[in-house]
Amino acid sequence: MRREIPIAICFLVGISFILEYFIPHEDVLSIFETIRQWAIIVIAFAYVLGIANLVRINSHVIQRKGRDWPYKIILVVSLFFMITVGIIFDIFGIRLGGIGEGTIFGWVYFHAQYPLQATMFSLLAFFIASAAFRAFRIRTFQASLLAVTAILVMIGRVPVGESLWADFPDFIEWIMNVPQLAGKRAIMIGAALGAISTALKVLTGLERTYLGGE
Amino acid sequence: MGTAELIWNGVAAFLVMSIYSFLYKDNPFYKFAEHLVVGVSAGYFAMILYYNAFLPKLINPLRAGQYWYIIPGILGLLMWARFSQKWQWLSRPTLGFVIGSGAGVAIPLYLQNYVIRQVHATMLPIGFTSWPLITNVLIIIMVFCALAYFFFSKQHKGAFGAAATFGIWTLMVGFGAGFGMTVMGRVALLAERVVFLRDYFAQLWGALF
Amino acid sequence: MPIISSAELQIQSNNEFFPSNTNVKSNPFFKVLFLFLCFLLIDSPLSFAAEDLSESWFNPNRLNMLIFLILFFAVIIYFIQRAKKGKSLFIRRIAGLDAIEEAVGRATEMGRPVLFVPGIEDVNQIQTVAAMIILGNVAKMVADYDTPLFVPICRPFVVPVAEERVKEGYAAAGRPDAYNRDNVRYISDEQFAYAAGVQGIMLRDRPMANLMFGSFFAESLMLAETGFLTGAIQVAGTANIHQLPFFVVACDYTIIGEELFATSAYLSKEPKLLGSLKGSDLAKAIIIGILALGAILETLGITQFTRWFFIE
Repeated sequence: MRREIPIAICFLVGISFILEYFIPHEDVLSIFETIRQWAIIVIAFAYVLGIANLVRINSHVIQRKGRDWPYKIILVVSLFFMITVGIIFDIFGIRLGGIGEGTIFGWVYFHAQYPLQATMFSLLAFFIASAAFRAFRIRTFQASLLAVTAILVMIGRVPVGESLWADFPDFIEWIMNVPQLAGKRAIMIGAALGAISTALKVLTGLERTYLGGE
Repeated sequence: MGTAELIWNGVAAFLVMSIYSFLYKDNPFYKFAEHLVVGVSAGYFAMILYYNAFLPKLINPLRAGQYWYIIPGILGLLMWARFSQKWQWLSRPTLGFVIGSGAGVAIPLYLQNYVIRQVHATMLPIGFTSWPLITNVLIIIMVFCALAYFFFSKQHKGAFGAAATFGIWTLMVGFGAGFGMTVMGRVALLAERVVFLRDYFAQLWGALF
Repeated sequence: MPIISSAELQIQSNNEFFPSNTNVKSNPFFKVLFLFLCFLLIDSPLSFAAEDLSESWFNPNRLNMLIFLILFFAVIIYFIQRAKKGKSLFIRRIAGLDAIEEAVGRATEMGRPVLFVPGIEDVNQIQTVAAMIILGNVAKMVADYDTPLFVPICRPFVVPVAEERVKEGYAAAGRPDAYNRDNVRYISDEQFAYAAGVQGIMLRDRPMANLMFGSFFAESLMLAETGFLTGAIQVAGTANIHQLPFFVVACDYTIIGEELFATSAYLSKEPKLLGSLKGSDLAKAIIIGILALGAILETLGITQFTRWFFIE
């Protein structure tokens, strides 16, 4: 029963959400909206597992004085610092506690987290240049198709492309609307069929990998 | 810019440059910034979930008398059984609930958006009397051939193999186009960070001198 | 750059949807398909007129979706049942998936770990479910080779599922004692914090094999490029179309779209999973037929058929 009940729950919940797609009755839709909120609540509870995993693994490294252990202290301290200023300060009514603008939490978000995230994102400019450099070392016919198309699209999207050939932008538009679109559609159709098939196997219990062993 | 703002932006600028130092090689500044971003973001998400999910979607409805919300509370608490080796199996119903809901939502959504709509959009009139009709013929042939590539239970031999090969060529052209389109966008991200650093150092210079 | 080979690996000899002695005229499947296609030539009852359906128990505008869903389910279940009866099933070779074992073997030779990145979406996303299925197969492989396996996770709910899959993989290989719970690590929910954490693992732990399967977004290129810098063999698979170009450019092998969902069948060789793959292939064949028919009818100005595929 330790496996059968979860599989039954998975099946019933899944079939219900499939049926919801076909039932426009407002009472039914509001029930399913509530169940969707339940899934969000459950996922929020699971966050404790993530934090516990993070703290446990990094604590082990700190205790053993493993590799980079001082940085693990920074990780754990910053995690608990955010939780402290976000919740504990708010609960005890300490000034600048809670989340939002004007709080310590807000300052750390705008002056530490946001710049770090944006900078990580901007590293992509360098990575894409390095990837492009490797991609353009053409070794097979398929690689040459990818490289040539990429170069043409890059040139076509800047003013120099149009100055080289007046119809360059229209040619790029054609590439986007014909071969790129056709390839994208085929991938979408195939992937969707695969995804639906996998979802069906999960719902019917053929795939019960999430349950683990006995 | 006030002194406090100058200091806070200085922290941000230091962290930006610490991340960029990764481009040279792994170093203590990058390690510091990396571990800081992981810790701060983990704490950030914990707070977002508490204020945007836990409080408004569980605690407040329970306080308002909507006692059926105890069900997700129980399901969520059952996940915490994972902390015990002996009672781990109690988390399975919750796993079944979440995975089942995801699978159930995905099936009609994928069928609608990624199969039926794509099929409908590909049912185009064909012909050779005008360029739009010829384009439609090309689209349909390319979709057929690219789909042929994804056949797993048939050998890619003969005419079918040729179609599958043309299909992978179509995919490669598509990937090249996608790659080329993204390059400019990524460079724009770098430009934004460079502008931030330029503005900060200009203000720092102005404040100091 | 992947070497996408069209060479096939014949696991079994049968490569047809139906036995070679199938009589098309008498086979019930073809009769049903023919009737279904004729039915679609009848003018679609889908009106999409504005009406209040809030008291209705069925949305008539989604009748087409219901029909297609039932048809697809029937095809998949038919082939799964057929596979259960022991019918042999062929699957073509997928170079990227063959490379997984090669990558794990190379990591073992070099004495370096294997890194498995299951994407950044939660367990209620089907690509993550597919990644978890693959993780179990990979865990069994690394347990056989006695190689460490690191699994950095982006969503907390994926942690218990990943732990179970890895533990099961080690148990299936007869090495339950070798399972190390600390190797399945939650990093961060935030996309780029997660990418930073995984980059850190790649730079310091120096895995020899990077296996990236699941749903990825902008961080895909960061992970693939960092892995390339460390000299690892990289096999990546996703159904996110916009990230495929980056994986194709930066990784040694790329699993494209539907191949991700075929991976579990390919690695496990389980007949039921191969059966569902065959069902998907038949669905694709039917779609190609429908597309061809739809294009011809549209050219002739007959629109009843295509209206069945319109969704509001």
